[in-house]
Amino acid sequence: MTPPDETSPNRTEVVEQQDAASAAAPQATVGAPEVPTRPGEDARAGGHTISVDDLDAYYGEVHAIKGVSIDYAANDVTAMIGPSGCGKSTVLRCLNRMHEEITGAYATGTVKLDDTDIYGSSIDVVAVRRSIGMVFQKPNPFPTMSVADNVSAGLRLAGVKGKHKDEVVEKSLRDAGLWEEVKDRLSEPGVGLSGGQQQRLCIARTIAIQPDIILMDEPCSALDPIATLKIEELIHELKRQYTIIIVTHNMQQAARVADRTAFFWLGELIELGPTEKIFTKPDNQRTEDYVSGKFG
Amino acid sequence: MPETRHAFHEELENLEKQALGALDMIVATLERALEALMHQDVELAQIVISDDDRIDGRYLEVHQGILTLLATQAPVATDLRTVAALLHVIKHVERMGDQCVNIAKLIPITGHEPPVDEEMLATVVRMGELAISEVRQAKQAFELRDVGLAQDLVRQDEEINKLNREVFRMGVRAGGSDEDRLEWVLTIVMVARALERVGDNAVDIGEQVAFVVTGLFREFSDASHPLPS
Repeated sequence: MTPPDETSPNRTEVVEQQDAASAAAPQATVGAPEVPTRPGEDARAGGHTISVDDLDAYYGEVHAIKGVSIDYAANDVTAMIGPSGCGKSTVLRCLNRMHEEITGAYATGTVKLDDTDIYGSSIDVVAVRRSIGMVFQKPNPFPTMSVADNVSAGLRLAGVKGKHKDEVVEKSLRDAGLWEEVKDRLSEPGVGLSGGQQQRLCIARTIAIQPDIILMDEPCSALDPIATLKIEELIHELKRQYTIIIVTHNMQQAARVADRTAFFWLGELIELGPTEKIFTKPDNQRTEDYVSGKFG
Repeated sequence: MPETRHAFHEELENLEKQALGALDMIVATLERALEALMHQDVELAQIVISDDDRIDGRYLEVHQGILTLLATQAPVATDLRTVAALLHVIKHVERMGDQCVNIAKLIPITGHEPPVDEEMLATVVRMGELAISEVRQAKQAFELRDVGLAQDLVRQDEEINKLNREVFRMGVRAGGSDEDRLEWVLTIVMVARALERVGDNAVDIGEQVAFVVTGLFREFSDASHPLPS
């Protein structure tokens, strides 16, 4: 990755400070007034951006992503579409440094959260993943934990306890559109919920720690149509507070939920534009051919 | 890469053939209406009126096909524009069919041997020929996705409009006080108006061709804000 910027008032310092603050103040609560400033807290009202510049990603010798540059606008939902193997999930995983967890995988280029290069050498990777949360294809609640504990799992790591924790659990479940369905079952196992409820539980867990960005990797592919629509409604609600980037194979879902859509093919970003334009008059013939099903 | 929505594209192609095929029905109906007009053939005029049910039936078929396609296939990009354009095309076809009916209904009004003004009749027949030519050209432009050909419809339509005004002036001059004569003249003025509308419908179809190709809808000519001649 690019070397860390030594001179800019960068996120590295903020992340390091935040971690120190968390350790020193275990009573701190997320969402309460006494919470110390989190990375990018000041920008929350205006949302956060991710800028990707000249990203290349590899799996060993396989060059999976080729020179992708893309700006994800604040409080926008950006959908990434393309045929299987086109690299959209790899790009997503590069955005919170999950890609490098695969043996032999690495990336080059720049990924900035607001002004901070998240691949800077002094960046805390765990803090990056806390700021850039991820919802996965298959709902993955912690199997041994209750509904409430699933939501508060991330909070405990941040040292949030007691009443404030309960408040955050409720707020997160409300924001995830799940509170009314589970408020009487908070102590029951999270895996006892339906698939759609489990996925919203995972979203609640993600937003409980107030990330700046939410990444979603085909979050509805394992859900029935009603559960899918609930998640899509939730995405509309969440974008008021968060910048959301979603990978989907379902083009109609991209059309329904995304403000902007990016089409990837063979590891390259072919076209990025307003969703309406991508699905009515895309500029690139390959985009046209893909969205209209002429190949895939 | 293999095409993944072959059945859908086949369905869309068939729908387009059905919609554009309806323009052939309009050409045939216009030819009959003109022949009925030239020969004061009341029976042929009646056939034109009856045959409008076929055009209306085609309209319903295509309309239903479009609704089904939208509901089941969620077309996008060029496909979506094509579907939207076909909805307009078939509506214009239905309107053109109605104009043919309007013409056919006027023919019996003047009786079997009306006092014909040959020059006026020839002018309105010329209008009919131009209208037929426009309809054919609109179909061809859609099939070929040829924006130039579509825009050329405006040129032809201006000729029809000019003749329409001429028919009106002829009517004013030729009317006189003879009631039968006046009735025939007014009938021809109304026929001219119907043909002028058919030309407008053809131009509207041309505008849909441009929309399918470019993604932008623009009126070729602005009737409410005409350029000074």
